[in-house]
Amino acid sequence: MAVSKRSKRFEVLENRPVHKDGFIGEWIDVGLIAMGSPNDPKPSIRIEGDKVVEMDGRRREEFSMIEQFVADYAINVKNAPEAMAKSELEIARMLVDVNVPRGECIRVMTALTPAKIARVMDSLNIVEIMMAMQKMRCRQTPGNQCHITNVKDHPVLLAADAAEGALRGFIEMETTVGIVRYGAFNALALLVGGQTGRRGTLTQDALEEAFELEVGMRGLTSYAETVSVYGTESVFVDGDDTPWSKSFLASAYASRGLKMRFTSGTGSEVQMGAAEGKSMLYLEVLCIMVTKGAGVQGLQNGSISCIGVPGAVPSGLRAIACENLVTMCLDLEVASGNDQTFSHSDQRRTARTIPQLFPGTDLIFSGYAAEPNYDNMFAGSNWDIDDMDDFLSIQRDFKVDGGLRPVSEEDVIAIRNKAARALQAVFAELGFPPITDEEVELATYAHGTKDVGDRNIPEDLKATERLMKEGITGVDVAKALAKRGFRDIAESIILMMRQRVAGDYLQTSAWIDSDGAVYSAVNDPNTYAGPGTGYKMSDGRWNEIKSIPWAVRAEDV
Amino acid sequence: MAQINEQLIADVVRQVLKGVNGGTQPAAASGSGISAADYPLGMKRKDLLKSPRGIPFEELTLENIESGKVTFDDFRISPEVLKMQGEIATSAGRSQIALNLGRAGELTKVPDARILEIYNSLRPHRSTKDELLSIAEELEKKFGASVCANFVRESADVYQRRKLLKGDLPSAE
Repeated sequence: MAVSKRSKRFEVLENRPVHKDGFIGEWIDVGLIAMGSPNDPKPSIRIEGDKVVEMDGRRREEFSMIEQFVADYAINVKNAPEAMAKSELEIARMLVDVNVPRGECIRVMTALTPAKIARVMDSLNIVEIMMAMQKMRCRQTPGNQCHITNVKDHPVLLAADAAEGALRGFIEMETTVGIVRYGAFNALALLVGGQTGRRGTLTQDALEEAFELEVGMRGLTSYAETVSVYGTESVFVDGDDTPWSKSFLASAYASRGLKMRFTSGTGSEVQMGAAEGKSMLYLEVLCIMVTKGAGVQGLQNGSISCIGVPGAVPSGLRAIACENLVTMCLDLEVASGNDQTFSHSDQRRTARTIPQLFPGTDLIFSGYAAEPNYDNMFAGSNWDIDDMDDFLSIQRDFKVDGGLRPVSEEDVIAIRNKAARALQAVFAELGFPPITDEEVELATYAHGTKDVGDRNIPEDLKATERLMKEGITGVDVAKALAKRGFRDIAESIILMMRQRVAGDYLQTSAWIDSDGAVYSAVNDPNTYAGPGTGYKMSDGRWNEIKSIPWAVRAEDV
Repeated sequence: MAQINEQLIADVVRQVLKGVNGGTQPAAASGSGISAADYPLGMKRKDLLKSPRGIPFEELTLENIESGKVTFDDFRISPEVLKMQGEIATSAGRSQIALNLGRAGELTKVPDARILEIYNSLRPHRSTKDELLSIAEELEKKFGASVCANFVRESADVYQRRKLLKGDLPSAE
């Protein structure tokens, strides 16, 4: 109802950034409901022999391909009768209760049907979800991942940004392209830059699946992530896959010694117009269970590129935290989103990240933009490089480990320069279009692509084609670096190549330390059982987090 | 603990003998005694790791690349190591990962290009039931990949029931 005389307060509020965000009421028929749709099935299970013959009110003959896959591969049939007999509230309380060990929660949660899991989540408020995350995430030590991209696919800038990102503490980095044919150069730039910044950095190139697998096999990347799964049969088929094809692809990655995780997220089915009136969280639980059933070690979820949908409905950001929690409860690594712009409001942007940042997850962001947002080719992230000092302050304010550390301007300049020169050497050695000293200089000091010149794109693309056609591998890159005097970076690349012989980083929630040691849920399992247990920040780490360079030091006053 | 150590010793001996005999027999169907305690293999059990043609893990170095002794093809995982990682996953309570790594072990023998072709054939509406069954046959007969073969056969049944084979109209649901 229009008001004839306007309140000045309302006029001010209407002009706040939050009013540019999209908000929509629940619309159940199309699945615009975050959790607890009346159309979600009622939990049930019937087992004959060792086969699930009825699940969530549906008989086996009527199962969709997803339901059959989940019933056969993702539910522990032996524990199911006992677990399903518990009430949703009882299970929800187990998750929050510090006296119930993580292992016991896993035993119950991996024996539930999708509808039951969705209902357990609906019994938790946001603080309880965070308490449960603290206990249920697989690996004890939290970590972080960044995006390394730019609008020009400028390889020198990519290498410099990757080096800086690794120095700042990101254990994984992901790139994608503006121009698809630049893909191989992006992979190469992240490999060289990532290993320059910190030995052991995991890198990936989010592109078409066959290409991703190929650059992975070549040792130009070390893991893959953008292998999508969906919660309804029609959307899965629209995505041109099935749980069987995706599981086969997962095994193909492992057969080449490559780490990988699946990707899913609430809202994708609504966005593709086929949510069947089910809640976003219920459909996402199916995705998580497909991942579990495929034997993939982990999942990137938390709505990801569809966050506009859950971000617009009531309890949507709570549902996103629930997706992450369900992933942890099924004993999977979680790369927990926070990787897409969804709000104009700085308050909402920050609030959206708290449920993952405060309890800690395996990878709090599955893409913190380690470049300015205008250079982020994943359509912008929830946080970017310009927010870095805010992030570091928040780690310090709350004594929370978000995986990042303060760095000096001097160190950043030095590492960016080294990465740019290393890539210059690789290009020269492999006969790619030269990287000039001026390009090195510009990339060293740049904020983003606005500060670097333009490459000769047709020449670069010819070279990327050659790179692919000639079968250039990580070993060739290491040789080139060694020959041009970058022996330490060459050694780092070989260290990454050796990982695929040992296969240690195929285990759940694995990352690689600078000495080549792999830490995962196997040797760094989460032992949280209440105050005084679980991840404990070391004194060294706390001193690092405390030491933001711009804080006034008592001794200087 | 003593028992585990004995198993480990037995396994080391078996690996050594295998190397001596130059044999490539598949790892025994029963467990090799590897568990989460041996993890990470790259730190704790380097003795068990080698390239597909038998170059020890420790020798996969930059120097040996430069001298030409080690090449890119040495940086490949072997079915034996995938099996060990599967056992580690199982001992850490993650049986599905072991299944995946079991399939992966079989796929180490399938060439890159053929793997991608099979993946594409498994996409919806790409293959007839007979085509899927003949892929299963190929996996089993040509590559000894019986677990993968059964997985493909299972997909053929599901695709038939859900009308996801080549020529099926997209399901009306």
